Amino acid sequence: MSTVTAGRRAPRRSGSPPRGRTHHAGALAILVVPFFVLFTMFYLVPIGYAVFRSFRTVEREGTFGPATEVFGGLTQYEQVFASDAFWASLGRVLLFGAVQVPVMLGLALVLALLIDSPLVRGKKFYRLAFFAPYAVPGVIAAIMWGFLYSPSLSPFSAVTSSVPLLGGGLVLWAIANVVTWVYAGYNMLIIYSALQAIPGEIYEAARIDGAGQLRIAWSVKIPLVVPALVLTGVFSIIGTLQLLTEPQVFRTFTTSVSSTFTPNLVVYTTSTVPNFNLAAAFSVVLALLTFVLSFVFLRLTQRKAFQ
Amino acid sequence: MHRHTLARSGAAVVAGAVLLAGCSGSSDDGATEGADAPACAPSEGPVELTYTGWVPGMEDAVALWNEANPDIQVTYNTGPSGNAGTYQDFFNQLEAGQAPDLGQIEFDTLPNFRVQDGLVNIADCEGVLEAGDQFVDWTWQQVTFGEEGSVFAIPQDTGPMAMFYRADLFEEAGIDVPTTWDEYADAAAAIRDEGAYITHFPRTDVNWFAGLVWQAEGRWFENDGEQWTVDLTGPQSTEVADYWQGLIDEGLVKDTAGFSDEWNNELNTGELWTWVSAVWGSNSISSGAPDTAGDWAVAPMPQWEPGADAAGNWGGSSVAVLKGTDHPYEAAQFALWLNTSEESLTALNEGGGLYPATTAGLELPALKEGLEFYGDQPIFDVFAEAAAATDPSFTWGPTMAQTYNDVADGFGAALSGSGTLLEALQAGQDATIRTLESQSIPVAE
Repeated sequence: MSTVTAGRRAPRRSGSPPRGRTHHAGALAILVVPFFVLFTMFYLVPIGYAVFRSFRTVEREGTFGPATEVFGGLTQYEQVFASDAFWASLGRVLLFGAVQVPVMLGLALVLALLIDSPLVRGKKFYRLAFFAPYAVPGVIAAIMWGFLYSPSLSPFSAVTSSVPLLGGGLVLWAIANVVTWVYAGYNMLIIYSALQAIPGEIYEAARIDGAGQLRIAWSVKIPLVVPALVLTGVFSIIGTLQLLTEPQVFRTFTTSVSSTFTPNLVVYTTSTVPNFNLAAAFSVVLALLTFVLSFVFLRLTQRKAFQ
Repeated sequence: MHRHTLARSGAAVVAGAVLLAGCSGSSDDGATEGADAPACAPSEGPVELTYTGWVPGMEDAVALWNEANPDIQVTYNTGPSGNAGTYQDFFNQLEAGQAPDLGQIEFDTLPNFRVQDGLVNIADCEGVLEAGDQFVDWTWQQVTFGEEGSVFAIPQDTGPMAMFYRADLFEEAGIDVPTTWDEYADAAAAIRDEGAYITHFPRTDVNWFAGLVWQAEGRWFENDGEQWTVDLTGPQSTEVADYWQGLIDEGLVKDTAGFSDEWNNELNTGELWTWVSAVWGSNSISSGAPDTAGDWAVAPMPQWEPGADAAGNWGGSSVAVLKGTDHPYEAAQFALWLNTSEESLTALNEGGGLYPATTAGLELPALKEGLEFYGDQPIFDVFAEAAAATDPSFTWGPTMAQTYNDVADGFGAALSGSGTLLEALQAGQDATIRTLESQSIPVAE
């Protein structure tokens, strides 16, 4: 943030053009080209190829006739929009996000404020402890929680055998708990670094005005970390729409997670048929929806956050 | 939430997987051969083959081959069982032109791979057509699709079904071992009163359910050469579905996912008393429930008609030569040796409990012995009877991966109390027809 405001305060004067631009062209290219090569190979080309495949369709003759791929126009997209399973899965993750993202970010904010508070001892320890779950690979975390939830394997079987945590009604929230466990500490760290960037004079001024720690947290710290909250909010929205690991792992623990539980599982399942063209169309639609949702969220929050 | 890296790969996961295929032009350059298979000639010089499967003990059989054939060296890779991941790997690899030379494919998924143009017709390879006589009839029928001049894989093993049960617990509780499905339901209630369950209803093992339908003489698919007929809800399928729906409704079966850690634990702790399963299941139990050694026994499948001897089949694999191989001749020779020679079949039976698909293999000394884990019962005798009683004409559909997924989703819903097994079959039927149409595979409405 500080660089942005600094730039605003000292707008570049017209007159002497920046020197040395041409001298650095070679160095710039060396620095930038590797990025663009990788970006093209592993980002643009796959996306382009997915879009290409989503407009293809298969033709064949006879029960085992040779398959020919031809241009199919919007054939695959018609199937995407006719797929109840896909839209149901989208509704499911939206519900998931509407509950889980605020809970997780609220928790991350509280934790960040706590370890930023001058009253807390052992900050380094808590910072590391809260962040540690993020260091656990997602699959491992999901397996671990799967064991904890499972009625007959859990060390808390008294609870898990009477409360169906993996049943149809609760499994979505059981997954939400895993996701929160893994990512709350990570988001806390982003918010915490935003807190660290707040100049000490502001606190001093607040204290002179008679503000206590709670008042400082509420009226000074939280408003100043809103940009960080927006950032973590966008990451979380994207992450929610892309949920795959946790539900996929939970499929081995419970019968309540179908093969079309989340949009990404729909893509995955469709590609196992295998129907690559339809899976590509699902991916493209999902990517566009993610983009739109992130954009809307940014527009709604931007004005408050970045002024 | 730092899942934006996942997001990137997620959005491009399909594209990434098939990116390589873009260069190789995957559309119509290798159309499925009918009767005009290409000549199958030996390669010059030493050959290296890759082979992917999931049979325990396969390494030992491959090592025997490598020792005897220095010029044809086979590298074996173990994958997850077919529907759990290996099939998807194969489909992706075929799309990318990177498939192994040989792959393990269960009979139920061979049509799926053939429709996707993943199989090499090895009928012209030396010794392949002649080997047909050595195999149990229905397995040869499955790999040739009943066509002259076509052989798309070499049969490896079969999965005749019977009932594994905890002999000790049945005896202690004074419950008779069921011989009919009616008795099985009565035993289920009695076992529930003992605080345990007779078995689990495995949501994801739709091929297990198909084995039960097979026993009841139901048929899910037909291919008359012109078009496919899909019938997941015929009278026999309905009967089987209603029967298990009854057990589920009364809370007499567990909803554990098959082959999961939780399932192993339930077998190991005596919470589950029976498992109607295939011959290779003997290995699943002994490895998953080691504490119960000596307590299990095997009886024929419960029957729909008292006194009948009908059996179903669950699984059973073939070894296929996959599209893109440079050495179909050598691959076919290896596949033949692997699945017909006594040394190989013995190794595979000892390591993986495989039940050979050759008629001679059924006479292996290893298949006549009692097994310690099963109280020294010669369990393979029971499966031999089941194999003889298995109707050979069962046909699998061309998109089984999808059919299984959709039915499994419905089964999961039924186990959670929303919907029934029959509704699951109906939904699977509709989805299968839709998928066939979307792949331009002719299907009768």
